[in-house]
Amino acid sequence: MATQSPPRPPTPTATDENQGSEVVQPAGMDQQNAGEEEPAKLNSTQSVFVNSQPLREEQVQNAMKFLSHPKVRGSPVIYRRSFLEKKGLTKEEIDEAFRRVPDSAPTVQTAGVNQDGQFKSSSNSQQQTQQQTLQPGLPASTGVNTSSGTLLRSRFHWSHALIAVGLLAASGAGTAIIIKKSILPQLKSWIRKVVLDNDDEQLKKTDDKPTLMEEAAQAAKSAAAAAAEVAKASQVLLASKGEERRYFVEVVSLLDKQVQEMKSMTNAIRRLEGQEDLRISQSSSKQLIVNGKVDYDLRSVRSSSPPASVEPSSGLHPKSYMEIMAMVQRGEKPSNIRPWEVDQVQSTSTQMLQSEVNGEDLNTKTQDTSLVNGDEPLPWWQRKNVRIREIDNENESNGVPYSAASSQQPVQQPVQRVWVPPQPPPIVMPEAAEAIRRPKPVAQKEQMPDNQSVAHSSDSSDDVHSVSKPLESEGAVEGSSVSSVPSSSEIQEEHEVKYDEQ
Amino acid sequence: MPVFKTPFNGYSVKFSPFYENRLAVATAQNFGILGNGRLHVLDLSPDPSLPIAELAAYDTADGVYDVAWSESHDSIVIAAVADGSVKLYDLALPPTSNPIRSFQEHTREVHSADYNPVRRDSFLSSSWDDTVKLWTLDRPTSVRTFKEHAYCVYSAVWNPRHADVFASASGDCTVRVWDVREPGSTMILPAHDFEVLACDWNKYDECVIATASVDKSLRVWDVRNYRVPVSVLNGHGYAVRKVKFSPHVRNLLVSCSYDMTVCVWDFMVEDALVSRYDHHTEFAVGVDMSVLVEGLMASTGWDELVYVWQHGTDPRAP
Repeated sequence: MATQSPPRPPTPTATDENQGSEVVQPAGMDQQNAGEEEPAKLNSTQSVFVNSQPLREEQVQNAMKFLSHPKVRGSPVIYRRSFLEKKGLTKEEIDEAFRRVPDSAPTVQTAGVNQDGQFKSSSNSQQQTQQQTLQPGLPASTGVNTSSGTLLRSRFHWSHALIAVGLLAASGAGTAIIIKKSILPQLKSWIRKVVLDNDDEQLKKTDDKPTLMEEAAQAAKSAAAAAAEVAKASQVLLASKGEERRYFVEVVSLLDKQVQEMKSMTNAIRRLEGQEDLRISQSSSKQLIVNGKVDYDLRSVRSSSPPASVEPSSGLHPKSYMEIMAMVQRGEKPSNIRPWEVDQVQSTSTQMLQSEVNGEDLNTKTQDTSLVNGDEPLPWWQRKNVRIREIDNENESNGVPYSAASSQQPVQQPVQRVWVPPQPPPIVMPEAAEAIRRPKPVAQKEQMPDNQSVAHSSDSSDDVHSVSKPLESEGAVEGSSVSSVPSSSEIQEEHEVKYDEQ
Repeated sequence: MPVFKTPFNGYSVKFSPFYENRLAVATAQNFGILGNGRLHVLDLSPDPSLPIAELAAYDTADGVYDVAWSESHDSIVIAAVADGSVKLYDLALPPTSNPIRSFQEHTREVHSADYNPVRRDSFLSSSWDDTVKLWTLDRPTSVRTFKEHAYCVYSAVWNPRHADVFASASGDCTVRVWDVREPGSTMILPAHDFEVLACDWNKYDECVIATASVDKSLRVWDVRNYRVPVSVLNGHGYAVRKVKFSPHVRNLLVSCSYDMTVCVWDFMVEDALVSRYDHHTEFAVGVDMSVLVEGLMASTGWDELVYVWQHGTDPRAP
């Protein structure tokens, strides 16, 4: 890179671009001309993409100051160019500055040698000036000459050393005195204390027995207290388990109701379309159950930071980005890499895929013929949703049908969307607790929290993390009715934080 | 709207210029840090309830960071691979004879590939070794090497109107406009104060470039007056990884970011954000808008999913 830029002779390109700029100035600003002349014209069209402005002298001056700075002299040429380019200088201005500042773009080797010499001399001079200011008392004869400068430094060293030794001795003497004054008496008193204690111990032996009895009594009391506490704790545990069981039963019952709803819906659809496909309904209900279990079992809440994502579909122990980076830096290799043999595995993989595709085609042929006739002639992606609606309308209109129709997704693997029911909040408002425990009508309330949570999400236009498929949103209902803060559908942790604050 | 689950983390998605239901996805294992890669070619089915079918998949020894479709042959795909090679695949040939070419000239990871839409005979590859290389399908070595950037070149994109002009976005915080006939770059835009991760030309105005940067903003520039951006689009929460201008609407552009969202913007309007999709659960790193179907977009991310949806609809809706 350093070799490319200087050898390019500046004058021919400058004249070229000057000519180009002259042609441009009247015609280049005109879009239409450029567009019309586009086919196979070499003269003025491409000059739109060239700087047509003259050199800015002050930019060149600034660049010259920059290049003349001693620190900049030590840096590689490419960094200097890059810095100037970042500041917005054009190539011509940069070249001009390099040309004007003598010796500013040397080759790499000579720059190295020059650097060392320059740095040494500059550092020497700096040291000298500093030392002079610090030591005004030194004789004036030690001035500019380098020989006397060295002598200056040597004497300097000696006096420095003497002062340091003196300080050390003084501090040593001081600490010795302090030790003698304060610590020795402490030692003596401590020794006396020990002697006295030994005498006292003999007296105390007689009092041992009654104290033992007292201690035993105290121990018994504390044991009893501990047992009482343990009993209380076990009671609390049992109570909480009972509560958990209650919640679980409620959730399961709601799940069952949902399943029933889905089944009824599929039945209705079957009736409408007049098709009997038992396989699809069974697989969808199975999927629902699987999803339900997954949602309930995973206690961990999905956090927003990408490195912490969990991907159970990919292998035994899927690693996050940070884990893989750490492994690589330690020198280990992640275990799922295969040393690559192009021919073998490609052929097997594509064969497998082709057979899969063929299989799918055969299965879906019958469906296709029956469905396509009823549908529009255009494929689905060509249906234009013309009006670009705002975010609010989008979410609201899509929220309800999306949750209702989610069972019809015959995806090969369920998309990882994890929603966990929030942990029951501490009972701040007893009426709220009552409301939770009362059984609710399922159909209405399920749809309502969907809409409400989605509507609230649409309120906040920034950082919308959508909570998908809320199965049982007792927490969400609470949030919408109780909390005064506009509860955008954020992570469950934040919901709980809001409850705690209230 | 169908979803495709790739076994590895997604890096880039591109629609085919020949078939409206075909797209290619570049993926890499272990987030692209270390491991194998795979190039998928997917076919959408006309029935929206059917999943996306995989037409072909090619495995590579290192992650595939980008993919580009050839404009001259409907079955040729170019893969930008992390081991520094640029590989050509032909879907019409049996998998044993793929890749048909492997160009190993870059000394570091190849981050992007782009095919010339006007000339249709050449393509660019940009790499972390600070260079951009120009290739044709028939030559075994590169035609030109453009070495001026001071840091990784993240993206090189051809101008949709001018056959010889392209722009490159680099980690040295500049965007350069090049002309293939000139020896060096013709313009240097000091686009951002931080690394510029992507750039794209406006399909209707040949002088307008959009740049996406680590500073979470997108800037739209007019090269005729490049000191001041035409507009600055803020709204992403983290670095913006990819930007694409719409081939159908003049002022519309789409971007994807490490804040896991895909945003659609209209840069000529005061309130530029048109819509935001947060369907990904990991970094969204690849996005594309179809040339053949108006409003159709696709995105992929490190959550190993590829979504294809129509603008204005919910990508996760079935």
